Amino acid sequence: MDYIKLGFKCGLEIHQQLEGRKLFCHCIPGAGKKEPDAEVVRKLRASAGEMGIIDISAKHEMEKGRHFIYESSSESTCLVELDEEPIHQLSQEALDTALTVSLLLNCTIADEIVFMRKTVIDGSNTSGFQRTALIAYNGFLETSRGKVIIPTICLEEEAAQKVEESNDCVRYRLDRLGIPLIEIATDASLKDPEHVKESAEKIGMILRSTGKVRRGIGTIRQDVNLSIKGHPRVEIKGFQDLRSIIKTINIEVQRQLAEKKPESHVRKVNPDFTTSYLRPMPGPARMYVETDMRTIRISKEALSRIKLPSLISEKANNLEKFGIGGPVADKLAREGKDAYFVSLFGKFSSLKPSFIVEAFLSVKAISKDFSAPEQKLTDQVIEKALALVDEGKLQKGNMYEAMADIAKGKFEIGKYSSASENELESAIESIVKEKPGLKEGAYMGLIMGKFHGKVDGKKAMQILKRLIG
Amino acid sequence: MAEPGDRVKAMTNDGSFEGILMPGSNNSVFIKLDSGYNIGIDSKKISSLKVLGRGMKKKDEVKQVKKKNNLPSIAILHTGGTIASKVDYRTGGVSAGYSAEEFLEMFPGLSEIANIETKAVLNIMSEDICFADYVKLANAIEEFSGKCDGIIIGHGTDTLSYTSAALAFMFEKINIPVILVGSQRSSDRGSSDSAMNVQSAARFIASSDFAGIAICMHSSSNDDQCAIFSPLKTRKMHTSRRDAFKAINDTPIALVDSFGKMDFIKKDYSRKSNEKTILKPGFEKDVCLLKTHPNMSQDIFDFCTKRYKAIVIEGTGLGHAPVNISNNQKNYEALKSYIKKGGIVAVTSQCIYGRVHPSVYSNLRRLSEIGCIFCEDMLPETAFIKAAWLLGNYKPAEAAGLLAANLRGEITERSLYEKDFLEYSYKN
Repeated sequence: MDYIKLGFKCGLEIHQQLEGRKLFCHCIPGAGKKEPDAEVVRKLRASAGEMGIIDISAKHEMEKGRHFIYESSSESTCLVELDEEPIHQLSQEALDTALTVSLLLNCTIADEIVFMRKTVIDGSNTSGFQRTALIAYNGFLETSRGKVIIPTICLEEEAAQKVEESNDCVRYRLDRLGIPLIEIATDASLKDPEHVKESAEKIGMILRSTGKVRRGIGTIRQDVNLSIKGHPRVEIKGFQDLRSIIKTINIEVQRQLAEKKPESHVRKVNPDFTTSYLRPMPGPARMYVETDMRTIRISKEALSRIKLPSLISEKANNLEKFGIGGPVADKLAREGKDAYFVSLFGKFSSLKPSFIVEAFLSVKAISKDFSAPEQKLTDQVIEKALALVDEGKLQKGNMYEAMADIAKGKFEIGKYSSASENELESAIESIVKEKPGLKEGAYMGLIMGKFHGKVDGKKAMQILKRLIG
Repeated sequence: MAEPGDRVKAMTNDGSFEGILMPGSNNSVFIKLDSGYNIGIDSKKISSLKVLGRGMKKKDEVKQVKKKNNLPSIAILHTGGTIASKVDYRTGGVSAGYSAEEFLEMFPGLSEIANIETKAVLNIMSEDICFADYVKLANAIEEFSGKCDGIIIGHGTDTLSYTSAALAFMFEKINIPVILVGSQRSSDRGSSDSAMNVQSAARFIASSDFAGIAICMHSSSNDDQCAIFSPLKTRKMHTSRRDAFKAINDTPIALVDSFGKMDFIKKDYSRKSNEKTILKPGFEKDVCLLKTHPNMSQDIFDFCTKRYKAIVIEGTGLGHAPVNISNNQKNYEALKSYIKKGGIVAVTSQCIYGRVHPSVYSNLRRLSEIGCIFCEDMLPETAFIKAAWLLGNYKPAEAAGLLAANLRGEITERSLYEKDFLEYSYKN
């Protein structure tokens, strides 16, 4: 497809859940596996926003006249999520994370942050609105296709999770409601689906670099705002997987091209990568000030407290400089283990960095090969084995077995002590005498067999060559 | 000069901001951006603030509501509080005192239940209400009682049950239902409980034979049922929940579900009749409610006995007060001589639930011996309102005599067993 010719205009909106307590109460989001211990039945009504106008998307929901059932578990919800208690103080941790991300994306931070109530009466918020605040603006993201502008970054509450829906009733679980969510929007300058994917990946990497984002299914969502020439803007919600982004956008462009009577609206992504109608596009009338809290002034001191982390991409690059392969370097950087490994490279300076990393990546295999419990093959155990090799007390080839023995608590250095050079030389001499005329490889096999591998192969070869050469 | 509501453009070093000017603070200018978000900009950073257009007026086109002949008429009297308020984007505050049309726009379901007229009687938050306000409210009720089928009073929840008690004592006889309604979630939010509370009160008025004062609030955290509570034996028991109001030492009068189905729990409620309204609007302002506690200063008893004509003690347990050990002997002497000179001392319990008793312990007998009046299972707040009302309408000796008598249902003779006394098992 020729995206320039199509007048392809596309922007991204990324929603990422943050670690820590909920945004406006002291509940810690659990795994959400606990069964609900209470439920309440509620109704929601559209009310005029602060401009005295009932928002069109809000009205759309009211007209449905439905009721909502909220399931709650005391493990992860309190009266705040049930809309039975005023909000607690804003989570400072979440605000700091949002400020960190804003600075990493080169944004200007708002002087004073105003939490708004965004009217949402599909029931996904018990209050009838989502609390959201503009934190920062006017940033940018570097991509291979040039700078992408980040007009706004918002901090908001996650919505409740829909469990079941019928004509007159929707059932929600409240565990998720109130989890801090950072919303990052790009401008509509993304050039094609590939560029959308790259930008989404890069923003995801920056978010993870803070070490303060929640991981797992549903903790990050991508929405795409999309239009082509002659067709109004459509918002596609709910990309969970970046792999589907290119395919879905292409299908949506085809759909728009085939559409007869276009109207701006919101669509959701279906499992088969097509999209379907969700609701009309919401307007600014659905926002008014959250009156239960004060505005938050962001002082210079508050900003100077924010320590910017290095990006995962920078950390991975650093590991690659030590000769660690790209994918492995990336994995270790994402797991935040880069600094640890760099320190090990310094500590065991006679060993190759890739050898050190390999030891850590082989835990599963070692556990299986030498039947040692995996959880006992700890970093300390690996470090101990590496130290023995580094100090020349242990042959590289024996390290994994030694690790298993250390883990099992039955490690004895004697088992692994190398044969002395004299011992080795006389042993090789007698082997050559006993079976003269064999090839080098055959002699080596006999030698290694005799010493059960507890010899330095290189040294044995040198001696052998001297004797038969 | 830019005013809130105007479309403005603020120029700063961080760029320009265009949108609608919001009410600000000394340090910041707030602008509502076209995205709907408000942002605060440091006033010092703003080099210029240009007005692009004058404020958009709020939509004032209110539809005239036609009266339907077959529907009862209900007067809605506002006193302030959150029940009929919404955010005013110009001031950032809340405004109340709506016209009938505005009220119906907020609660569209009401027009199917009744013809509505409204009047703003007061406009204060309920924590600031004074006895004089009860009189204003009672006069408005009397005025409307002759020309409508029922009255709904929108009231702040904090002192709603004090007002309901005051009205219940003031109206010795009233032949229409007067229902006080509050709201625990402000009306501007989609989840507000106000609409259901108001509509349930209207349904109750429209389809029952009840006459008198009552309260209508959520019976649980669900939006499916309201309870009609006694004006004298009900208390706000939670700071924020929708079902904050609970019947104490009593059951609710009735339950009204969201479809209008009514269940009367009480059978002996007052019914509509042709008797004339009797209003006794007097109030004595020099009455106090005194909560006792450990280590209580003698100065307080001393002050109260000098300052007030009646003291309602919210004592501990069965009605104890710190008057027994030698340190507190002065308190005892103060009360004794106060009552001797005609002062009234009423005894209630801070346990809230249960009944006080004048003789179980010798310390209780010491109080009753000097003339303290034990108020049975009356709520402390109800006893406070009752004492003030009695002294406003009767001579002190008469008032003292009536204090522990059941005039309007403020005292029950029998304490009925409930498995869990906090929740009366009126729920089916």
